[in-house]
Amino acid sequence: MIRLENLECTFDTGTPNAKTVIKNFNLRVEPGEFVTIIGSNGAGKTTLFNLISGSLMPTSGKIWIKDQDVTAHPEYKRARYLGRIFQDPLAGTASNMTLEDNMMITCKKGFKWPVISLNRKMRAYFRDQLIHLKMGLEGRMKENVSSLSGGQRQALTLLMMVLSRPAIALLDEHTAALDPRNAAIVMDLTTRFIREHRLTTLMITHNMNHAIAYGSRLLMMDAGEIIIDVAGEEKAHLTVPRLLEKFADIRREDFGNDEMLLTGGGRSGR
Amino acid sequence: MLEGIFVEGLIYAIMALGVFFTFRILDFPDLTVDGSFPMGAVIMATSLTGGQNPLAGLLLAFGGGVLAGFVTAAIHNRLKVPHLLAGILTMTMLYSVNIRILDNRANLPLLRVDTVLTHVAAWAENRVPVEWAVLVFFILVVLIVKLALDLFFHTDMGLVFGALGNNEQMVRVQGVNPATLKLIGVGLSNGLVALSGAFAAQYQGFADVNLGQGIVVSGLASVMLGEFIIKSNRIGMLTLRVILGAILFKAIMYLGRFYGYYINMTPNDLKLIAGILIIASLAVTNYRRIRGKGGTAA
Repeated sequence: MIRLENLECTFDTGTPNAKTVIKNFNLRVEPGEFVTIIGSNGAGKTTLFNLISGSLMPTSGKIWIKDQDVTAHPEYKRARYLGRIFQDPLAGTASNMTLEDNMMITCKKGFKWPVISLNRKMRAYFRDQLIHLKMGLEGRMKENVSSLSGGQRQALTLLMMVLSRPAIALLDEHTAALDPRNAAIVMDLTTRFIREHRLTTLMITHNMNHAIAYGSRLLMMDAGEIIIDVAGEEKAHLTVPRLLEKFADIRREDFGNDEMLLTGGGRSGR
Repeated sequence: MLEGIFVEGLIYAIMALGVFFTFRILDFPDLTVDGSFPMGAVIMATSLTGGQNPLAGLLLAFGGGVLAGFVTAAIHNRLKVPHLLAGILTMTMLYSVNIRILDNRANLPLLRVDTVLTHVAAWAENRVPVEWAVLVFFILVVLIVKLALDLFFHTDMGLVFGALGNNEQMVRVQGVNPATLKLIGVGLSNGLVALSGAFAAQYQGFADVNLGQGIVVSGLASVMLGEFIIKSNRIGMLTLRVILGAILFKAIMYLGRFYGYYINMTPNDLKLIAGILIIASLAVTNYRRIRGKGGTAA
């Protein structure tokens, strides 16, 4: 479904501040996979999403979505296959427009012609869909989205994303800005929608428990690389302590390498 | 005089609707207006003196405005130039273009040609007073433009325009190219502005390349005045209040012109008044927001 080949992304190339945020990145995500991604701040998780969605262009490497080389495609063209949800609940909806207008805009991907599609049938369809959220939003379709709470907006964004029938969902810490109760509600909706619509999903999270509990595959990123990639049986038996242990092992190895490099460099310098 | 205020207000309301479209809906402060307004006027005047019928002239003027808007949007989209600069570039270039359209003249009188208004006057003769017929005519024209705009904003494309000014990322995620939308939006907006210029030329009886100086400011002042009259977010009300704002703005300018001498004011001060009106609107809006009453965002 998604294939990334030798992807590399450097900011401020050619200046002293040049920083490689994604390096030598190879990843293959099969249809129907639900991948959770964890990593510390600055590990390159969001940059990875920006590269996949096209809001950022890679310095080198190739990106395939649905067996199509989309490396050169602008964001709005790739959007046909992608549903992206951001951490900020305000990012997915237009505040000063009504709920039904928002849903009308998002229910179909692609260019919009000057035709009126928001009719009684469409409204009934939206109402049916909103009932599934169990938030009472079906009675507030003429209200502005700005009157909704953060949790409601994120749930609505999620629903709108699903209605637009993308092949791949990119969830960027979409529950991080919500209180625990709303986060749980939105997370429940997420798993339900992913199951019902068989969405291929990549989900960034800061919550290790979430990363382990949800999904069929887990990636840990550090300094722009995948350092842990577990799926299947191994993922099923993963616990937070074991994950931390694994992370520590890899890190120690890194330190070892660094030490060797340093001593080696020192010797040749003499 | 009273119907004069209304007629001028209604003519400028068409321009103000265009300004409202770019400034408020698209969040694209478009200064092309200062060039596309006289462009509409000179296209209209040229086609009328060339023997075209008024309806064809209006269509040509609208089309010219759309092209002017395309140029601004294309400069902004293609060269990643800030929208203000893109508008100023087009506006400046249009000054020369407008003189070319007038065949190397700066103005063109419309005294002995048939305009839309002479047709209206001919119809009104012996039936109703001409001034009233003209007023009703412009009420109808503005009503048609307003209803067409309202209808447009209820279409799928119109809704995306609403989202674009609000949340461009959301539009892109939806698989719509914001650049294409800006092209269409700024084009339509300037089409309306040029249409307004075409009517203004016929009403005043001449077209002048300097007709557009500071017009974008008066359009913006109309939009802001309207926002004080009606608080709403229904599109029908939004367009209505722009029209009312334009009439109110003209009324204030009339007062300034006819009674301003009491405080030593001359017609030359009117642009200053327009600017101060905008600043005052911004200040009041700001004050309301601080007090948490939630005025319309400026």
